Amino acid sequence: MADTPLYVGIDLGTTNSAAAVFDGERVSVVRNAQGATVTPSVVRLDKQGRVTVGARARRFLEQDPTNTAAEFKRLMGTGKPIEFPAAATTRKPEELSAEVLKALRQDITDQLNVTIDRAVISVPALFELPQSAATSEAARLAGFGRVELLQEPIASALAAGWRADGDGAGTWLVFDLGGGTFDASLLETRDGLLRVVGHDGDNFLGGRDFDWAITEHLASQLPVVPRRNNPAHAGALRALRMAAEDAKIELSRGERAQVTLAQPLVIDGQDVEVDLELQRATVERLCAPLVDRAIEVCVRLMTAHGLGSGQLARLVMVGGPTVMPMVRARVAARLEATIALGHDPMTLVAQGAALYAATAGLDGRATSIAVPAGRQVWLQYPAVSADLTPHVVGKFIGADPPVKVKLVRTSGGAAPGSPGEDTWTSPDATVGPDGTWLSTVTLLPRRACTFQIEARGAGGEVVIVSPPSLTIVQGLTIGDPPLSRTLGVALANGHVQTYLERGAPLPARRTFTHHTIETVAKGSSDSVLRIPIVQGELSQAHLCRLVGTLDIGGDVVVDTVPTGSAVEVTIELDRGGRLAARALVPAIGQMFEHVAHLLVPDAAPEALDAALRDLRRQLMDARTDAFRHGLGQMIERLDRIESRLSEAERDIDAAHGGDADAAQRARRALLDVDGTMAEAELARKWPELDEQARHAAISASSTVGMYGTEAERVLLQDVLSAIEKARRDRDPAELERQMRLAQRLSNAAFNRTPEAWEWYFEDAASEVSKCRDLPRAQKLVTEGKAAIERSDNAELRRIVKALWQLLPENSEARRKGFDSGVR
Amino acid sequence: MKLADNPFFVLGVTTEASRIEVEREAQKLLGMLELGFADARTYATPLGPRERTAEMVRAAVAALRDPYRRLVAELWAHHAPAPKAEPPVPEPPAPARAGLRRALGWRP
Repeated sequence: MADTPLYVGIDLGTTNSAAAVFDGERVSVVRNAQGATVTPSVVRLDKQGRVTVGARARRFLEQDPTNTAAEFKRLMGTGKPIEFPAAATTRKPEELSAEVLKALRQDITDQLNVTIDRAVISVPALFELPQSAATSEAARLAGFGRVELLQEPIASALAAGWRADGDGAGTWLVFDLGGGTFDASLLETRDGLLRVVGHDGDNFLGGRDFDWAITEHLASQLPVVPRRNNPAHAGALRALRMAAEDAKIELSRGERAQVTLAQPLVIDGQDVEVDLELQRATVERLCAPLVDRAIEVCVRLMTAHGLGSGQLARLVMVGGPTVMPMVRARVAARLEATIALGHDPMTLVAQGAALYAATAGLDGRATSIAVPAGRQVWLQYPAVSADLTPHVVGKFIGADPPVKVKLVRTSGGAAPGSPGEDTWTSPDATVGPDGTWLSTVTLLPRRACTFQIEARGAGGEVVIVSPPSLTIVQGLTIGDPPLSRTLGVALANGHVQTYLERGAPLPARRTFTHHTIETVAKGSSDSVLRIPIVQGELSQAHLCRLVGTLDIGGDVVVDTVPTGSAVEVTIELDRGGRLAARALVPAIGQMFEHVAHLLVPDAAPEALDAALRDLRRQLMDARTDAFRHGLGQMIERLDRIESRLSEAERDIDAAHGGDADAAQRARRALLDVDGTMAEAELARKWPELDEQARHAAISASSTVGMYGTEAERVLLQDVLSAIEKARRDRDPAELERQMRLAQRLSNAAFNRTPEAWEWYFEDAASEVSKCRDLPRAQKLVTEGKAAIERSDNAELRRIVKALWQLLPENSEARRKGFDSGVR
Repeated sequence: MKLADNPFFVLGVTTEASRIEVEREAQKLLGMLELGFADARTYATPLGPRERTAEMVRAAVAALRDPYRRLVAELWAHHAPAPKAEPPVPEPPAPARAGLRRALGWRP
């Protein structure tokens, strides 16, 4: 074991967690002390403050629910403390997740006799930044030195694809129905490379909805019916829900199950005996609408990528609820796809995470192996490679490096020294005077290949190098993890400056220059320049989610920052999706990097009530309008919104009953509905938008036709076809996007002409009376006129940009831009 | 996508490069940049040489993995004049904040 790498993957799930390890050739699932491959994500604190995790803690969920916590993953990033009255203490969700991680880490140590320091932990594809940050914090609390986060669907696909052995080429769908969320991912494997083609999901659909559907059915059979909005009924419902969950699992195999509770439930002071029969057909009937909702998401995703039923190469089922035969049969039938067999839906994510740890070169062992003496060499090579002939790059440390290097494959084929031994030697690579060299190696398919490094000095003498060898595993790889949601900065005009687009490879970093719209006075604690960081796919800031703010206060600046000062903002995400943001104000030479508010906002039931009322009113207006204009598609869409609102209402009810998790679900559902309503609003303005699109197409064609390059003309053709398609499909969001592209091409072409800046100048100069610093603006106008006289286009451009900065922002737009202080 | 940051120029591969060749080149460049190989630090573009960073290499390979984005990049690369690979102009003396700016990911 000592010199074999050990890559660790952990699936930190809402309901269950699992760990797996990969040694370069085989993936194995780690068993816990009870011998099980999954550990319930449940933590209990007794009155002595002792912590119990997993199946043992789960047993207390019914008997001692106030001191036993489950499903805390859904509260990650909210900072909401969870109370443990017996121990008179509270724990944050990340602290509870840390307990689960500690338990899994200990299981690995017990089973493999190694201490683990590094691992890959999977997170849902649609996790927001604060939730990812909380997951990293949980890992740190659990004693991990370094972790990387990986999106769950990628982990599943990597695990499923690893075993596919070449027959899995084509498009795959990963159907991941977890405890609380549903993720559908389309992936493509080609040449041993895995690519995420697209992703969709429903953050509010999971196994727990199945359990609640069954629970509510069982509750309705009782003489006294417990209600979710009554805190006094919470205990009875919890007991019933656990019984429902067990019955659901039992019905995966049998036709009927008996739901019997040892103790009677106490509901409104009455003892209620529970002894009910539940039939498989009933459970299937109750769960079918939920499964159909998941199927709808899949169809939507496939249609968006031009795929119809029957066109999937394979279907991978992940998550506990997919064990139900009805779920498998219904999904396979509707999508006309074959389910990939031989995968354990409960541990596939952990296995994929372990494989990914290898791709990322993240050896889990705490203490590195003692490096033997010899000439030090730094190496760069892929720990896992789909390519059969990857490069190895090296650099010798110190003066007078060896002159030649070759790499000899010593394992990966048959055993060394055996008759079938399959050794291979690279050609000599020449070492540069700075000690650098580059070589190419040949791998064997699906094997871990070890190469000895043989170096020779100027006189041909052998030079012992350290490390003496390297290992590369050949197999399916995925490149850098993609960013799941677009990230940007909200501007004072209510729009978003996109920094990193969804799908951007991580780690990523981008800098843009903004300008302040008001003065930050030195020493004044009231004057604060706010830079809001938002995540979301829409271009209007208020429809995105605020994930952090970078505040520059008057009390910290070394000098007053005048209006219009440049602020260079850099947003950086590491491979695990952790956010860092910095702002440099060159005028005062000061850098600010403290990002505040990295929390999922609180969800008070009263605020949710108000938001729900507001959305209902908007929905009613939109519906009246849709009927008036006979917009059939829109009516269907609004009906879907209506049903989402009804679900949210149920959750808000439960939130009033003290269920913080339901409150968060409701908050996110309302935000999503708000986004959909904004799109519906766009659709309502369709005739206007359609007209705008026609004008945009004509204007772009004439500008690009006159001033554009050949490539711009070809690209415009693409955009024009897309505009036509969006008009035919009556898709307002897509039409807006394509119009923006046409506008961008048109601008690029137009800006190339000398008249462009004169035109912009005239436009800005006509509004000079509105400018903040009038004397300066007037001076710029005079300078601009002189620049036009001299035909000094570069100067004119500078002047126009300076004028733009002096024009005011609309206060309503600024409010919608989270009070952003930059433009 | 256009000229200076066209993924094909960033990676120094032709538009005919296969997917695996693109990945191989990116992996090599990332290794070379990590170990400070001088010849990996710049790349040729029709607008003259540009500085190459690990972020740019990762972004370029991600762009070429996506068939549509690759098509757009191919289009620009096809219509571009031949890249100029003259040696980079020596950098002017660094202003006081240059280190800070570079730390922020600001390309000089």
